Amino acid sequence: MTTTLKALVAGTTAMAATCALALAAQAQEYKIGITQNNVGVDSYQTTYEQAFIAAAEANENVEAVVLDAGGDVARQIAQIQDLIQQQVDAIIIWPTNGQAVVPAVRQAKNAGIPVIVTNSNIAEEGFDFIASFSGPNNIQQGASSAELMCEALDGEGNIVQISGQPGYTTAIERQQGFEDRLAEACPGVTIMETQPGDWNREKSQRVMEAFLVKYDNIDGVYAGDDNMGVGALNAAKAAGREGIAFIGATNFSVGYEAMERGEYYGSIYQSPVDDAEAALQTAIDILDGKDVPFLNYFETPKITQDNMGEFTKPVF
Amino acid sequence: MASARLKGIGSLLARQGILIAFALFLLGFAAFSDSFSDADNLMQVVRQSAIIGVIAIGVTVVVISGNLDLSVGSMLSFATVMVVDLHDKIGPVPAIAVMLVAVLVLGCINGFLVGVLKLNSLIVTLGMLSAIQGLTLIYSGGQNVDIADQEATWFSLIGRGSFLGIALPIWIFGTLAIFMHVVMSTTAFGRRVYAVGGNPTASVFSGIRRTHVVFAAYMISALCVGIAALILGSRVGGSQNNVGQGYELQVLAGVILGGTSLLGGSGTILKTVIGVLILGFIQNGLLLLGFAYYVQWLVTWVVIILAVWLDIAAKRGRLLSPIA
Amino acid sequence: MATLKQNAALRWLTENPIWGFVVLIFVFFSLSNEFFFDMNNFQNILVQTSTIGLIALGMTLVMINGNIDLSVGAVVALAASLMVDIQSWDAFSGWGNWQMLPALIAALGVGTALGALNGIIVWKTGVDAFIVTLGAMLGVRGLVFVYTKEQSFFAMNFTFSDLGMSTVGPVPSLAVLFLIATVLVHILLSRTVHGRNTYAVGGNREAAVNAGIRVGPHMVVNFMIVGFMAALAGVTLSSQMGAATPNLGRDYELWVITAVVLGGTKLTGGAGSIIGTFGGVLAIGILRNGMNLMQVPAFYVLVILGSILIAVLILDKQLTRKGVEALKT
Repeated sequence: MTTTLKALVAGTTAMAATCALALAAQAQEYKIGITQNNVGVDSYQTTYEQAFIAAAEANENVEAVVLDAGGDVARQIAQIQDLIQQQVDAIIIWPTNGQAVVPAVRQAKNAGIPVIVTNSNIAEEGFDFIASFSGPNNIQQGASSAELMCEALDGEGNIVQISGQPGYTTAIERQQGFEDRLAEACPGVTIMETQPGDWNREKSQRVMEAFLVKYDNIDGVYAGDDNMGVGALNAAKAAGREGIAFIGATNFSVGYEAMERGEYYGSIYQSPVDDAEAALQTAIDILDGKDVPFLNYFETPKITQDNMGEFTKPVF
Repeated sequence: MASARLKGIGSLLARQGILIAFALFLLGFAAFSDSFSDADNLMQVVRQSAIIGVIAIGVTVVVISGNLDLSVGSMLSFATVMVVDLHDKIGPVPAIAVMLVAVLVLGCINGFLVGVLKLNSLIVTLGMLSAIQGLTLIYSGGQNVDIADQEATWFSLIGRGSFLGIALPIWIFGTLAIFMHVVMSTTAFGRRVYAVGGNPTASVFSGIRRTHVVFAAYMISALCVGIAALILGSRVGGSQNNVGQGYELQVLAGVILGGTSLLGGSGTILKTVIGVLILGFIQNGLLLLGFAYYVQWLVTWVVIILAVWLDIAAKRGRLLSPIA
Repeated sequence: MATLKQNAALRWLTENPIWGFVVLIFVFFSLSNEFFFDMNNFQNILVQTSTIGLIALGMTLVMINGNIDLSVGAVVALAASLMVDIQSWDAFSGWGNWQMLPALIAALGVGTALGALNGIIVWKTGVDAFIVTLGAMLGVRGLVFVYTKEQSFFAMNFTFSDLGMSTVGPVPSLAVLFLIATVLVHILLSRTVHGRNTYAVGGNREAAVNAGIRVGPHMVVNFMIVGFMAALAGVTLSSQMGAATPNLGRDYELWVITAVVLGGTKLTGGAGSIIGTFGGVLAIGILRNGMNLMQVPAFYVLVILGSILIAVLILDKQLTRKGVEALKT
């Protein structure tokens, strides 16, 4: 009984795959499902979703199924299963956690559905089960921020770090990239303390207030994104402390404005629109049978007060 | 004679246990951390506690009336996003007015469901927690909101300014606490809230309209959330959609620490203020001592249970409960 | 005769209004979405709800007692972390797949022990269970972070996650486990002395004491059951992921309480049933799954779930009132 069932399933999958190939040849419609991390928690993710939907609508060959895990790993796994159930042609996943989604991704691969990871990569153990990763290089971003910090402090000073949500891959990688590169490029700069700001400006502001009480020798602040960085800046301004270099790892419009005012040193320019469009394009290329590099990093250059004229202000 | 005095001291210890614990914590932190007893730091903790404190004042009224309000966290997100978003669109005064009306409408819904329809407050406000979070996201489309020019508006002063050397949020928190304490302890309305929470059946017979009292309690709670949103929005100069997430539990922890019984009918506003401050000082002190942020959760666990235990042990006159 | 039967069915439905709602949304999603009515999808729903469902079974006992447990979400995370971490300890590396056994024992043992701790505090101090477990909710989450040092754990051995994805015949193992647990707890509650005592303690504590029930130890047992169930849910959830994260299980206590209340258990204690709770769990699972399939935007899902919770509460109140009136006449 089970064997016939399995054979049947295998047969239909093969047929579906053939159909998909045949359809692809005629440039027919692809059904692409995406499960995002936590839309609405910050503007980056919201703008990403809007850009993704817009890009999918602009492409008449794509029908998108857009889901959001609300930051809950278990719900994301359920959504991957629901997408497999709907027999989508490809699944794009923005992992809520890089390790916990691996078995579900494996399930999708076993069902014959290619998986594209977007924005923040899954754990290495899962690399065998994904078709491609598309997104920023978070470790490189952390390293670039370390170089900015080095530059801002002339290689000498004491800093504090405000990291993202604990346990979240992007937060861990940006922290790791920053710390490793800083130790290498700039041994004269010491990280006195690191506390999480949870991607939350108000939380970050509170953390910075505590730092300002505890340390009277802060030369620089590194924050996992500008949203938290500006929170820290607010705290320093309120305490009347000047001469601190603020550096973020994703440029938000509030950070861009603070740079215009000369209060914020620099950040990393990362566009959610590029991010979303790259993910969709990678999925389409894979379905078209094109050769796609396994790691598709899009450019995330440094942005400082000096070169900010080359960049348009982020919309988020 | 001596034993009576001893008993007196024992019951004083138990009854004012929360104050004593508060003092012990302050002394302990001051002994081990140089920067803790710094006047700036102490002021800062009070200022940081002001947002939770203002909400806790409203929730205390609800809890005294015998109900719960878990919707305050998402309501805070909603109100903050709204007032910040409208600030640049229609100006600060209309923005504040519209926001206050909006939270009062939400308070009305809570009050109607719990007061008039007599539904269970835990579940109603749990449902509202989810629904209001969704409303906030729909309102903003999931985008962060910001005030463009924060230096140019007096709105920024609410959360950042100071008067006579004391930060405005502390003034707001203190004034509101004293005002509500007076209302609850001296007015007819205050007595009614205690009566409704203490013995709902008896109070119906004594002619007090439970419906009105519960309804009013939820309106007060909503209004307090609105005031807290002013401080929060002004302090940050912007808002994320989940900014108030989890506040309901911190607020409730403060209210419980202050010795307000969840069964209703007892508790005071000033003790809630102390409860909230204790939580603030635990958080601040442990961070200054260099503990990881999650150690405060373990300490809070022990402190909450011990504080409430001592409180009820004093009331019943014995340490262990009479449950067989 | 026919009307009698009809009456019995109607009465059953008024006693378990949630099942009417389950049928309603089931029909609605079946008609409005082509992917919903499908054996594979039903299995998905059962697996997806099994986490909340297992905890809800234990929570029903505690809530019929007139207590509540807010710490279950944190227990889920602690059990999951222990399960995934301990099985990769060097000490057990020679055990082959049996290395999962000590991990399982530790996870379930710690969950049960934390339940016992909550229960004993409630019993001995007389502090309200809401307060005791609100404290534990924070404290146990603190334990998780102390234990994991904020890191996620990953099971190197794929056998563990294969177990989570395995099937018994055509049915997923986790769904089978959930169904068996449901039947067992149903029997415990409806056919045993402990079950009868559970209602008695929650309904009228003084009468229960007079009838010779030792209320304190009885409550501790139910807290241990919910602790065990939460730990079991942590184990099954981590087996679906082959991993554990420190933030796992956040807000689960709210969804569990929602499911139990939807199922007709009264927060004041003394009333409720496993059949109702099972309906409440399914209602949430079907709603989430159906809205996913229909691509309802996430923002609206929150509003819909919140509104439905309140609507069912209103409906339940109306039905109870009608039921009381019907009894009078």
